[in-house]
Amino acid sequence: MNEGEPITPPQIPQPQPIPQPVVTTPQQPIPNVTQPIQSVEPVTTPMATAETPVTGQTRMEAAWGSSEGDEDYTEMASVGHTGSGEIFQQNYEPWRGELNPRWMRNWAILRHHVLGIVKKGHRPWGVPTKIFLVLVFFASLSDAGLTLLASLIGESDFHSMWGVNRDNLYGHVLGFFPRNVMYYPIVAALLVGGVISEDRNHGTSALYFSRPINRFDYVGMKYASVAIIQAVIIIFTLFLYYLTEIMAFGRGWAWIIDTFPLFLGALVGGVLLIITYTSIGLALSSVSKGKFFPGIGLLAIILGTKTLAIIVKNLFDREILYLLSPYDCLAHVGQALVKTQPTYDQYSWTWSLASLIVMNAISLYVLSSRVSSMEVTRE
Amino acid sequence: MEQERIIQTQNLSKFYGPHMALENLNLDIKKGATGLLGPNGAGKSTFLKTILGLIQATSGEGTVLGHDIRTEGSAIRSRIGYMPEYDALNPEMDAINQVRYSGELLGMNPIVALQRAHASLQYVGLGEQRYREIKSFSTGMKQATKLACAIIHDPELIIADEPSNGLDATAREFMISTLINTVKQGDRSVLMASHLMDDVERVCDDIVLLHKGKLAAQGRIEDLKAIDREIEIHVWGGASKLEAAMKQRGMKVRREGRVMRIAHESEELTTEILSCASQVGAQIRRMHEYEASLEDLFLVIMENLGYDVKTSEDLFSHPIHARKVDAPGHMGGGAS
Repeated sequence: MNEGEPITPPQIPQPQPIPQPVVTTPQQPIPNVTQPIQSVEPVTTPMATAETPVTGQTRMEAAWGSSEGDEDYTEMASVGHTGSGEIFQQNYEPWRGELNPRWMRNWAILRHHVLGIVKKGHRPWGVPTKIFLVLVFFASLSDAGLTLLASLIGESDFHSMWGVNRDNLYGHVLGFFPRNVMYYPIVAALLVGGVISEDRNHGTSALYFSRPINRFDYVGMKYASVAIIQAVIIIFTLFLYYLTEIMAFGRGWAWIIDTFPLFLGALVGGVLLIITYTSIGLALSSVSKGKFFPGIGLLAIILGTKTLAIIVKNLFDREILYLLSPYDCLAHVGQALVKTQPTYDQYSWTWSLASLIVMNAISLYVLSSRVSSMEVTRE
Repeated sequence: MEQERIIQTQNLSKFYGPHMALENLNLDIKKGATGLLGPNGAGKSTFLKTILGLIQATSGEGTVLGHDIRTEGSAIRSRIGYMPEYDALNPEMDAINQVRYSGELLGMNPIVALQRAHASLQYVGLGEQRYREIKSFSTGMKQATKLACAIIHDPELIIADEPSNGLDATAREFMISTLINTVKQGDRSVLMASHLMDDVERVCDDIVLLHKGKLAAQGRIEDLKAIDREIEIHVWGGASKLEAAMKQRGMKVRREGRVMRIAHESEELTTEILSCASQVGAQIRRMHEYEASLEDLFLVIMENLGYDVKTSEDLFSHPIHARKVDAPGHMGGGAS
């Protein structure tokens, strides 16, 4: 820079305004706001005088004019109502589908109860019930696990203790301790507890009977649901136990043919057990409005009668009271089916079978009569 | 064009042992909204169970949507939607699955039932609440859920048992408007049993009135109301004289202070009233036709008409009975 030249401020480049694109805002809809009733200033009309020509308006005033309302110096004008928009619009949607037949309705009941154990959105079984069922399922597989272990370690004594044989097949289903003390009766009690009584309590029986569902289908599907869940724990684990023996020890057809009748005997014993526990339990559920009484009642019947029979046997050496105990009758019949060593010597197993039939008949009678009295309109 | 009949019964009777629950009911319910009224023990529940095919009638016959109530109960229950009065929901389930399950119980495919459950809950205003457990619902929301269960298969007839019972004003208003919408927009029929006369009057065009198992009245509400037509006047000065003068001329007058109601029996009634007022020098400040509410009608029929009257035509053909229409004694009427 030379001296004498005026000092000019350095040319700092000024930021140029960025050319803004011309935004063409779409025309906004006029908000729908309901206009309040507005007060409008009156149009004052001069009082008619003698010189005023007689017009239609004057005649109207003469005809309709009165002192009433003349004091009002305002007149009301309302602006037409405009819709203000609605968040909720109620539209009835018709449906032109076809309803499926009876089997589909029955399947819905079965599915609702069975899937409720493992899936949300179906019958809400209690969490303790679900946990207990899972525990019992794995506990019931203990003999299968120990058979597998025996095959791995190759210990023959261990295998003879836990592997498939006449006594172990019987014990898997009808052994008293722990299975018929801690497992199966409690499972049955937890399952049957609220199956019918809660329909009575919550009024959900109306949901069934106002639909094209008859009482037989209703109680039949409830019965089947409870029985299927028990069958998964008792029969399916029996099958897995038998299958484990075949797979782990490489049993051939000769062994299968030899032991299959025993397996079938145990299976029939398991079916009888499920039927008996379910019948008694559902009968209790049908006479109740809660799930505690049916559950505790079933346990009391199964374990109480057994205890009573033991006491009477020990005191008086009489086994006849075992006929009143569902478990003992099942055990007696099961021993006959599997041909294991009988523990009931004083009477024939056919008496136990007859007793079981009577117990089931009474239970089903109570169940059917109570379910037939369930109301649609009120309970 | 004659309206389609949805429920018809002929001499329908139901006895529980010696106890008579329904006796010779001859009903003819048309498409649209019909109110089923009656005091406790009138036979409403028995009637509903009979037309649902859940109990067998002792004698007589009937049809619902063309199906015989004695032999086709299952078909009837497939085509109607029943909304029970009492709780009929599992409190542990969420609303969407409860409504879906109710659809499955009708034979709907689970996927279709789920779609319809969404639509039904949206319709009854529970679209945003559908994943909540029912135990957290208010009474109004439970009632709406029951209605959703009833309409999931788009039934031709919805039987709503006390739909607005126990609801607050807002929920009640919504329930009533939903039922009205179902009838008007959905073109469905509603048979509504209720003790709330205002609700019945808003939803229904027709009523069936039961009492002690018998049909007390049946017909259009507007027609039935006509049996209780009166002129109401507000009198200033000389009310007692005017009352006496009108009674002298044979008018049926009931009085509550300065307000009087005169049975509307002739077309000349207003002239007669004005003439009486002129005669005794009383001022009539206001005169209008008094329209009885359904509740008035209910009381009138229950208390005065007896049970031999069957339909609105019968009511009109029994002027002597109609004349008995009166207020209770403490209001100056002749009813005890």
